[in-house]
Amino acid sequence: MGVAVLARRDVEHSRVYIDQLYSNDSQKCFQAVSELKFAVIGSVREKGSIIEQGVVVRLLQILRAPELDILLKTEVATVLNSLAKGLPEHAAALVQAGLLPVLWEQLESCPSGGSGSAYTQMLLCCLRSIYRQGCAPPPPAWDQKLLSSLIQHGYHPPSNQECVANILAHACKTNEQQQQLVDAGGADLVACLLCSPVSRVQLPALHCLTAMCFNNERVSSIIATKSYGGKAVPDLLVGLMARDRPRDMQLAAATALTFLHRAGALSADDPRIIYKTLQCLVRMCRRDREVWERVEAANTLAYLTEVSTDLQRTAAMTDHLIHTMNDYLKDTTPPNASVPQGISVSPVSCRQYDNPSTWPELMVGAALKVYASLGANDEDIRQRVIKTDVLMNTIVTSLSAASPPVQLAAVRCLHSLSRSVHTLRTTLQDHVVWRPLMTVLKTSNNEELVTVSSSTLCNLLLEFSPSKEQILDQGAVEFLCGLTRRPHPGLRLNAVWALMNMAFQAEHRVKVSILHHLGTDQIFRLLSDTDVHILMKTLGLLRNLLSTKGHIDQIMQCHGKEIMQAIILILEGEHSAEVKEQALCILANIADGDIAKSAIMSNEDVLKKLMNYMVIPNVKLQIAATFCISNLIWNVEEGAAERQNKLREMGVYKLLQNLMTTTDTGLFDKVKTALQQFH
Amino acid sequence: MDSDISEMSLGQEFMRTNVDSDTDQSGTNEGVKAMETSEWLEETNKMHIHRADMNKLIMNYLVMEGFKEAAEKFSIEANIKPPMDLDQLDERIRIRTAIQNGQFQEAMRMVTALHPEILDDNSQLYFHLQQQVLIELIREGRVEEAVVYAQDHLAERGQRDPSILNELERTLALLAFDQPDTSPFGDLLHPSHRQKVASELNAAILRAQNQEETTPLLAELLKLLLWAQDELNKKKVQYPYMTDLIKGQIEERK
Repeated sequence: MGVAVLARRDVEHSRVYIDQLYSNDSQKCFQAVSELKFAVIGSVREKGSIIEQGVVVRLLQILRAPELDILLKTEVATVLNSLAKGLPEHAAALVQAGLLPVLWEQLESCPSGGSGSAYTQMLLCCLRSIYRQGCAPPPPAWDQKLLSSLIQHGYHPPSNQECVANILAHACKTNEQQQQLVDAGGADLVACLLCSPVSRVQLPALHCLTAMCFNNERVSSIIATKSYGGKAVPDLLVGLMARDRPRDMQLAAATALTFLHRAGALSADDPRIIYKTLQCLVRMCRRDREVWERVEAANTLAYLTEVSTDLQRTAAMTDHLIHTMNDYLKDTTPPNASVPQGISVSPVSCRQYDNPSTWPELMVGAALKVYASLGANDEDIRQRVIKTDVLMNTIVTSLSAASPPVQLAAVRCLHSLSRSVHTLRTTLQDHVVWRPLMTVLKTSNNEELVTVSSSTLCNLLLEFSPSKEQILDQGAVEFLCGLTRRPHPGLRLNAVWALMNMAFQAEHRVKVSILHHLGTDQIFRLLSDTDVHILMKTLGLLRNLLSTKGHIDQIMQCHGKEIMQAIILILEGEHSAEVKEQALCILANIADGDIAKSAIMSNEDVLKKLMNYMVIPNVKLQIAATFCISNLIWNVEEGAAERQNKLREMGVYKLLQNLMTTTDTGLFDKVKTALQQFH
Repeated sequence: MDSDISEMSLGQEFMRTNVDSDTDQSGTNEGVKAMETSEWLEETNKMHIHRADMNKLIMNYLVMEGFKEAAEKFSIEANIKPPMDLDQLDERIRIRTAIQNGQFQEAMRMVTALHPEILDDNSQLYFHLQQQVLIELIREGRVEEAVVYAQDHLAERGQRDPSILNELERTLALLAFDQPDTSPFGDLLHPSHRQKVASELNAAILRAQNQEETTPLLAELLKLLLWAQDELNKKKVQYPYMTDLIKGQIEERK
């Protein structure tokens, strides 16, 4: 009974002070806000309760009222700051109620020299707390004036420095924002903050720097040349990566240097990258480190080594990295796992670690990404990676069962491994990877995932193997032909490339299937594609289709007219010599077919073009054209005599004789062979 | 310019060393005898510690722990400038006094008034303060109030965080005993528990004041000594072992 009475009394008490909030007596109002402050600080439940009661509207009203006392406003800002530190839904509710514009407006109205005022400080704290929750809608671009004044406030005192750095770190998301930030003096501010003696300021400054540099060449090159206190920013970053620094700081500094390198501001052989950053990241992957550290470090390491072969080689021999990643694949969540306290993980990934049951999957994803990067270019590294005992099984399971980010990591890893002919012939046969890969291709909506998967499939189709047959049975041809119609150029390219591989030395029925599902209309479309790589691969596809005499004749019989049209289209169009060479090679193949020859012989226009190409000042084109002629007049075949007469009449014989003076040995051989055929 | 609290010329390097666990260590000195005690003591005596460094260590301790009058007096007698304006100690002193008098709710209000972000940002600390309020209520036998307080303030926290729930249960278990201080959870009632919370709060305030070091360097030194001895013991090295840090008593390690 006594307990119930006490509880009710508390509720009544709180209702009194909430009512007083609406009072016009500023003294009473202040007291009420103070009571409110003591109630909500530290208590998630109270925060939720207050927000539910709709008090926020009144609080914003107080902030906006110009006549009200600044002490009262500061107290209100303190309450709002505390509310913003609650659950994400609390912060979201505040944003919904229109908190952000009010805060910005109030900040603007603060005198510029008043950075030290308690009110300014609390406004900045409030903004920072909201942005840290990640629920502030990112504007496409900042208001220039607002940004400048924000940066001005960010120079002192330390409380403001920390707040401004955090706001910028969390808010800076787009390329345009990055540019604006640098242009408004953000890089200078960050360089200054990196040198602060207070680690609470340095850490958000690092996050701000990484947010600015990411994937932005111009901004990164500007930042790399900034300096403060006589030290260049990259050197400052190396200092913050030292072993006596807190782990989250080491990681943030290493990430900043990684982004600077990837954006082209620091080269791969810069000692700060290859001898400092890389080692720091590898060190943080060790078994005795915490999960969040190991995952972040591995992901950053994968990004660092994604492109440069030197970095890949160095990483592969640093501190048993390949073996360490193997541990990641076998890791299980310890039973008493808890979310890291007081650690400041980067703004991008801070929410990732909220649920310990997802940690094993995060570890697997990170390790696969590292393997994908390490094995991208070097065959030795690939062989060492493949020896990792659980790797293939993990890849196969992850392809079918895991969440999209881990699926993507698995496909990337598989893609790197599939660049090895040896691996294609051995390991990738032993483990049936194509089946889950095909499933991913057919069922996924994720464009990036489908692009990398199709690229991998492309490689798998290169080799003669039982799986090639099985892949075909799965309806791969129809599927790939469908992919050639997708808007994403990367997908179209991979699809055509895969078809090209499939057609290489393939059986007639496969070639028929390809032509049937693709259709000559689509071939025309692909030959008109804006992406020249797609065009080249389509020509390559045609060339592969039109190989082997029997196939050439059969295909030309069905599609001869369209194919000739397509080739003429290319020869007449504005294309590079490389493209035209391909087209001429296709003609040469057609010229090899017994019946198909007539398609060329009956076309005076094409014959004249061939003669033109024989004399054009480009050796490769000359060779291709001559080869074609050579095939046409091959005297073993039926009707050779008539063909030779016709061509002689047109002046081909004379042309060939003239070409005997060429200095190019390749061309000379071809010409000689052709002349020998004439009789 | 005064040196920061964090700068000490005495062994600055090894103060800042991170204790990396190195899995590549080989234990080749199992059962090795370091040297004779007399030799050891002789070598130790050769180490020269500057008086100025000793003074700095002491000043650092006094300032960190909030002994303002002592710090002022020491500053005069040892002719050493304090590392900060000693009036800045006042707020920490007031808060520590409140805690020593068992007035935890008062202490929480003071902290919130001065540094409103501390209790939101340090939820463990906040829980320990609330737990202490509960302990004080139980100690005074105000059982009903204790239960209500636990319900109103601590229950929701316990729901969200399993480690806190454990601590909460231990604390409430005290209510089951007529003589809680002799119960298995009696350690909670011990004054040292109050002291732990006081130090935790002190450290949080120092952090909020942008101080990089939040515990006295003297404490760090002693921890380093204890850790070093621990490592040597693990490797079964025989050396003169300091058994009593306060008295500096050394024994031969068998």
